Amino acid sequence: MSGMRRLNAFSYPRPALSRRRFIQGSAAVMAGLAAANCRQNLSGPPSGGGNDGTLHIYTWANYTDDGLSQAFTEKTGIPVVVDIFDSNESMLTKMQAGGGGAYSIIYPSDYMVSEMTELNLLTELDQSRITGLENLKAKWVNPAYDPNNAHSIPFCWGTTGLVYNRKASPGAPVDWDFLWENQAALARRVTLIDDMRETLGATLKSLGYSYNTNNPAEIEAAYKWLLELRPAIAAFKTTGFESELLGGDLSVSMAYSSDAIALALEDDNLEYIIPASGSSLWTDTLAIPATAPNVEAAYQWMNFILDPEVARAAVERLLFATANQAAFDRLPPDIQNNKGLYPPEEVLVKSEGIVAVDEVSTALFDKFWTQVTSA
Amino acid sequence: MPRSLTWPSLFTALMYAFMYFPIVVLGVYSFSDSRYSSGWGGFSLRWYRALFSDRRIFAALQDSLTIAIVAVAVSAVLGTLMAIGLARYRFWGKALYRGVSYLPLIIPDIAIAVATLVFLASVAVPLSLGTIIAAHIVFCLAYVAVVVSSRLQSLDPNLEEAALDLGATPTQALIKVLIPQLAPAILAGCLLAFVLSMDDLLISSFTAGGGANPLPLEIFSRVRTGVKPDINALSVVLILGSALLAGLAEYVRYRSDRNRQPS
Amino acid sequence: MAPPLAPSPPPSPPWADRLAPRRWLGPVVLLGPAGLWLLLLLVLPTLLILEISLVPGLRLGQPSGGYGLGNYLQILQPIYLRVMGRSLVFALGSTLLCLVLGFPVAYWLALMSPKRWRNLLLVGFILPLWTSSLLRAYAWITILRPSGVVNTLLTALGLPTQNWLNTSTAVFIGLAYSFLPYMVLILYASLEKLDTRLLEAAADLGATPRQGFWKITVPQTMPGIAAGCLLVFIASLGDFVVPTLLGGASSMNISRLIYNQFLGPTRAWGFGSALSMVLIFAVSLAIALLLRYGDRSTVTEAS
Repeated sequence: MSGMRRLNAFSYPRPALSRRRFIQGSAAVMAGLAAANCRQNLSGPPSGGGNDGTLHIYTWANYTDDGLSQAFTEKTGIPVVVDIFDSNESMLTKMQAGGGGAYSIIYPSDYMVSEMTELNLLTELDQSRITGLENLKAKWVNPAYDPNNAHSIPFCWGTTGLVYNRKASPGAPVDWDFLWENQAALARRVTLIDDMRETLGATLKSLGYSYNTNNPAEIEAAYKWLLELRPAIAAFKTTGFESELLGGDLSVSMAYSSDAIALALEDDNLEYIIPASGSSLWTDTLAIPATAPNVEAAYQWMNFILDPEVARAAVERLLFATANQAAFDRLPPDIQNNKGLYPPEEVLVKSEGIVAVDEVSTALFDKFWTQVTSA
Repeated sequence: MPRSLTWPSLFTALMYAFMYFPIVVLGVYSFSDSRYSSGWGGFSLRWYRALFSDRRIFAALQDSLTIAIVAVAVSAVLGTLMAIGLARYRFWGKALYRGVSYLPLIIPDIAIAVATLVFLASVAVPLSLGTIIAAHIVFCLAYVAVVVSSRLQSLDPNLEEAALDLGATPTQALIKVLIPQLAPAILAGCLLAFVLSMDDLLISSFTAGGGANPLPLEIFSRVRTGVKPDINALSVVLILGSALLAGLAEYVRYRSDRNRQPS
Repeated sequence: MAPPLAPSPPPSPPWADRLAPRRWLGPVVLLGPAGLWLLLLLVLPTLLILEISLVPGLRLGQPSGGYGLGNYLQILQPIYLRVMGRSLVFALGSTLLCLVLGFPVAYWLALMSPKRWRNLLLVGFILPLWTSSLLRAYAWITILRPSGVVNTLLTALGLPTQNWLNTSTAVFIGLAYSFLPYMVLILYASLEKLDTRLLEAAADLGATPRQGFWKITVPQTMPGIAAGCLLVFIASLGDFVVPTLLGGASSMNISRLIYNQFLGPTRAWGFGSALSMVLIFAVSLAIALLLRYGDRSTVTEAS
């Protein structure tokens, strides 16, 4: 073949810096500089300096919008960049695998706060730098998952329930059982939350057990019961079912109240219900990671969010249930009385928060969840 | 039977329709006023307006372009040199080297993404835009090398020999004779690598961190969290961009074929 | 007119020859940087996931135990074998679909289309490849959902509506759509080189067109067919976007499973690495099969 060549037998004096080598050399130097620069920017020490002054936030969808970030930037002059995650575990993975070095504010859920505190991934909050802590509702002043709010500030809370399309559903659900009872009519028109503890927990609840059971027999019963529902399940989606539900392609979706209420208010055909036998009560919080590059900006963001006026405006736009009593008092009555957002006490009593279970049970949950989603 | 109405031609026409059908659907819905893409809502440009005022999309596009341009630039150099080296020299372990250079084309994206993430996590390198670029260079240089290699096989070696006979150093012969001959292939390889880098989802989602948000990642997260139809408008814009690139690639190939014919 | 040859220096002794820069400078400069990059960011990581795949039960953030085959044994559980089987079915099915749909197109393009427009027509067919695969899969969601375009057309024609979204059917359609251009491209390259005189000779000797096709065209293009099938097979086996967006709850394939191990709730990195190694092995097996039948230059030309 013409491509093969023997080693060049001619000998010449060693060439001076050739153009090719120069280009190569500078490419290597530039690449090296770029790499070094990036790394310096993103793995700087927590006490600032060496970062570009931007506040990077890692949060759930629907908790911040352009209006909020722009208001913050106008007030403090700090630019804001928001990244979205869709599950606590993927956020934790990113933080642990080295991808979270740029974030100064994260939004872990209650049980994740406990876990991250144990892993030393969160900074202990200097409460003297935070104004507005007195605005919190009584229930969240000293929560079980984070005593005295040492590492996190409660941001919003909610329940997990069912949102359904009146026109496309074979009835109005009242409880989790509705899904199993109407399985045939719901063939591939149901979506469930893509979260192991939420979905298996809901199944446990529908069988009369607790979300946080450590009993292997109960967990297995829930797994088998969930398997029976499979023909009705279109997909496991935490969010993303909205347009299909609105269009009638889906009948019922399991959803977090913060997502569902905003959706239900958009269209009269949709309604959110909290299942009668109880659901999960969750809290999402604000926290500062241990590796945060811009701690000063992080505290400013926290104070900004805790400000009652800002919180009220955010709730009115984004429709989540706030943990801020002062903001709640300023809300218009129709939102205050929204049963989905702020359920009455008798409903709340039957719901439970998800906490970590023991290792054996966690392994069981893992195993059954993988089997359900892979079947 | 008229020549144009044979069943292969009809079938081919059907397949062309099949290929362009989703693109046409995206285009049609990008002009529809309805929010839920389940019915025509009247002609409207609101999604294009929403698209052009969407800061996140443009930041994501900027990230993607940065990654693609840097990765392709570095890969063009590295990949071309590697192809030339493989064509020119015999050495111990050459088959192994060649095999390794084909690996990025063969191993599925998910495996490469997983391996890169595990590696970066193990040596505690923080994830950033730079890590995405580094990961992209791996497969970009493999594609450039493959395209340039196949062109090298059909080159006339006498030109380079003649240059050497005329007193050029090997380096000069390389730069002034070989590289210009390879230029169309290098460009074709770069275009291919560019398209692949812009389209990459898995490697980016595994190696992204620290605020880096390439466009496919942004689109994927939007599709999963409830799409607003400005994605349709974005698709149309991107498709037009790709058509332009494809046209450019074809033009380059056409020119290089014409230049090759006299020899 | 030609300038005189440069004088060659006296021959040097063998050991100096081996160490002289001019011998190894060239190869090192040409092959070194790329080789180093591949070594550092491809070979080393692959060896690393091989290593952690041998640590049973390795999870991110938890201390690891000793070596063992636990992760691989876990793959042998029925649930995971089913996922593997499903991935194979998807890959084989889409390969077959692409072959059946793509061969007539390549045939017409290579042998029957007007010569002037041939290249343009080919590029026209390949053009969708240049757009984002993510967006093309997303387009299919719009088309296949119960209130989507397909059902609108079916209703207009009076036919019963289908709900193909979130089923295997949607995955097959999506995969075939994504990889059909590759198949056509490779088959085209192979068919272009077909010597039509053989077909003429066969016709002269009394063969029907069908005999000519099966006894001449197909065997002659077999390397291209093999290469195309291999490419589509590998691409479909490891595809993530189409099964995720179009497949729903019942189409977990190996790519999604691996993704879930790393970026999902279980964070079982050891198990995920074992799955990745199995995938790499399956792909290598397929390639080994190709090298027995196929034509590598066809593949490189096609890329």
